[in-house]
Amino acid sequence: MKQALALTILITFIVPSALAQTFRADDPVWVDNDAAIDVKHVAKHKLNDQYDFMIHAFGKPGDRVPKRAMNINTLGEVPDSSWFQNRHALRRMSVEELVRGPNSGNGPSMESPWTVIGAKTEGITPGFRIRDGRGDVYFIKFDPPQNPEMATAAEVISTKFFYALGYNVPENYLAFFTREQLVADRKAVMTDGTGRERRLEEADLDVILKRVHRSQDGKYRAVASRQVYGIPLGPFQYFGTRPDDPNDIFPHEHRRELRGLRVFAAWLNHDDSRAINSLDVLAGEPGLRHVRHYLIDFGSTLGSGSVSAQKPRAGWEYMWEPGNALKRIATLGLWDKNWIQVKYPDLPSIGRFESEWFDPKSWKPEYPNPAFVNATDEDTYWAAKIVMAFTNEEIRAIVKTGQLSDPIAETYLADTLIARRDKIGRQWLATMNSFDHFRIVEGELEFEHLASRLDLGPEPAYQTEWFAIDSVSGTRRPVRREDFQREAALFLVELTSSAGTIKVHIRERDGDLQIVGVDR
Amino acid sequence: MLALVLTMLLVPPQQPSDELTRSEELQLAREEKAQHLEAPKRSFMEKGLYEVKERKLVERFQAGFHGFHPLIGGIAKGSGFGFGTSYEISDRLKASAQVSMKGYQKYEVVFATPRFLTDRLFAEVRTTYRSNPEEAFYGLGNDTREETRTHYGLKDRSVGGHAGIRLAKNVKAGFHAGLVDVTVDQGRRSRSPFIGEMFELASLPAFDTQLTYLRTGVFFDVDTRDEPGNPRDGGRYAAKWSSFRDQNLGLYNFGQLDAEVQHYIPFFNQRRVIALRAKATVTRTNDDQTIPFYMLPTLGGSEDLRGFADFRFRDKNLVIVNAEYRWEAFSALDVALFADAGQVASKVSDFRIRDMHTAAGFGFRFNTAKKVFYRVDVGFSREGARVYLKFGNVF
Repeated sequence: MKQALALTILITFIVPSALAQTFRADDPVWVDNDAAIDVKHVAKHKLNDQYDFMIHAFGKPGDRVPKRAMNINTLGEVPDSSWFQNRHALRRMSVEELVRGPNSGNGPSMESPWTVIGAKTEGITPGFRIRDGRGDVYFIKFDPPQNPEMATAAEVISTKFFYALGYNVPENYLAFFTREQLVADRKAVMTDGTGRERRLEEADLDVILKRVHRSQDGKYRAVASRQVYGIPLGPFQYFGTRPDDPNDIFPHEHRRELRGLRVFAAWLNHDDSRAINSLDVLAGEPGLRHVRHYLIDFGSTLGSGSVSAQKPRAGWEYMWEPGNALKRIATLGLWDKNWIQVKYPDLPSIGRFESEWFDPKSWKPEYPNPAFVNATDEDTYWAAKIVMAFTNEEIRAIVKTGQLSDPIAETYLADTLIARRDKIGRQWLATMNSFDHFRIVEGELEFEHLASRLDLGPEPAYQTEWFAIDSVSGTRRPVRREDFQREAALFLVELTSSAGTIKVHIRERDGDLQIVGVDR
Repeated sequence: MLALVLTMLLVPPQQPSDELTRSEELQLAREEKAQHLEAPKRSFMEKGLYEVKERKLVERFQAGFHGFHPLIGGIAKGSGFGFGTSYEISDRLKASAQVSMKGYQKYEVVFATPRFLTDRLFAEVRTTYRSNPEEAFYGLGNDTREETRTHYGLKDRSVGGHAGIRLAKNVKAGFHAGLVDVTVDQGRRSRSPFIGEMFELASLPAFDTQLTYLRTGVFFDVDTRDEPGNPRDGGRYAAKWSSFRDQNLGLYNFGQLDAEVQHYIPFFNQRRVIALRAKATVTRTNDDQTIPFYMLPTLGGSEDLRGFADFRFRDKNLVIVNAEYRWEAFSALDVALFADAGQVASKVSDFRIRDMHTAAGFGFRFNTAKKVFYRVDVGFSREGARVYLKFGNVF
């Protein structure tokens, strides 16, 4: 049943590029209405992170047969859906919008004390759950004591980037507060370090705050992560579909926005890009409910490893690579990968983040991610194009929202992101056929060569051939460029350069010309 | 399905007006799925791991039951595998009882206050009873033979404590004081003979004497290790002076200086570490005093001279140096090559480099970033190979 469904989807959605091009009346689809069917019965399903590690480190879940992403439109783009919204790359956001990101306000209200309704005292990442005076619920997360500002800045900055890239993310705010801002709820319970639930006491708050950094003015700096609207259902997996969500029909490992996330994760060093840091939420009103898919928890991005500076291995090697481990053991440690030699600046608020050694192609998360593994050149090209949409000024503006008190650290972080962005561009735009942004302007086909426009490489010589497609037989015949509008209702332009051929389909409808297909 | 594929293949590339739109086809696929929905399921393994985590079974096991906490692992050098429980009477007061497969016993009550009066002061008081029925003895001096392995039983009761001040972030100093009552006997039956069967008991100071010592002293400790449980950088530099005053006969008074230097040299992003340690114990007595043989410093075993048996060498003074080259195989495992060299001597002036006993070997250290929780060391010496399975780091 699952295979049959997947095949049906494959045929209906991507067959235009896989077989002879056929276009439907609504191509190219820019909105995949995956909230159309009311979700009546959907279960909360928590994931065990050890299990998640085991099945991915020692197995290969999901479909690994190489194939094109399934949820793209005939232009090779990702339609808006409950997973992804085309934002900065297609509809440029202003600097103000980029800086605001997903935030709808200014964070938790400081006008009255926060009521602590939950707390986590055990482990190495203490935190609170609070309700502010407006009744909004936030999760409060802190920096590790030895790296003030690091994790909170990473969380806030990466949230803005992932939002602009197109993902659903929580509203994450920097918050500065004193001990007096917190009042334990009388009814609040907490699970202590022994695994037992008990009433939350004011003293528990003191215990937690004793373990976090406090600035000289007596304030604590934290990230206030607003609870996402809707009913949390647990994480989504990077393979398969949710069996209880009728709208979830594309296997996740074949969704372009999840495959392309590999490039964004490499850029932002989101090595913790795994299921456990995602969240499905039942959103909408009764009768119109659907599942929305979020990326959450960006504490382990950039140079931050959440509870300490990022591990030197992070981004370079999976946690478990038996071949490498055996080589190290057998050679008494004389063999190793280059990452052990990477030098990092001594900036505690940055952690371990750099651009000189960064290799976007070989970047890896903590353990294999089926969607990342399945990413094709087309997927990474699509993602690289989005990364390259961020200008230096926009990157600097977003980095500023991390409120790093050390200007050297802020400059270093922005410079590093810019350098990593350019490496991504060189990796996936300059080495591929980057003629793009096809459009019809006053009856003429216009396009540009992205790599050369972005100073990533020279524009190669190219030639175009024009064809009219017969509406009955499907056969094509060459036409002169200047005559193409008069010859048929569907045209094909083949743009050939040393990097390959791109097929651009143009459709005439009601007197207007429309780019209906791009196949690279 | 085949028909559908064929249909799609055969459809000419045109803009069919009577065909479903792409959005309609997706809607159909979703409606079809809606007819076959099922709740997410967990596999057997996932269920197990899920329950362990959600019910916090590991934390509960570690936290114990109604204040009782399990204790697993050796309880003394040479004790063999031990187990027991501790009982948390209050946050600061704990009692524990442990036994080992070799019949060792240990009972203890500890009152510890890591901070009192101010954040800088700390103190601890403890009372302990130990019964070690199979303490190895090979004779005194640096040249004893492996074949002369014997054993005796040691029992001691002690009450004492220490208090100190944190002078700086990594610097502590303080004093210690206590009473210790020691008895030696034949111990339990063992594969090795009783000490009296191979050695003249009269030649072993204080064998037949039950002694009570007043132990006092001072200590100083500089600890700059990045993670004490699994250090990769920094060092530890500690010294402790102890005075043992015989409260019964006044014949066995002595002083003892223990000094230890640890230093860690990281390279390649701390994925390689040269770990160095030097330890020395120097005792001093007046001319009319002697040190009971069972109070003398010993050398050998998993903590210092690997490749030699526990308690292999024993004398008034001791020196040991260890060097390890540690490298990361993967996140949870470091491998080590090590070399140990040590010696005991009745006088400090008798220490000679050529008289050092040497051993070398390799080890596997299973770890987290913060601690080594288990290690397997294999040491080789002229007396053969020894395998050590231990909880915790060596240094």
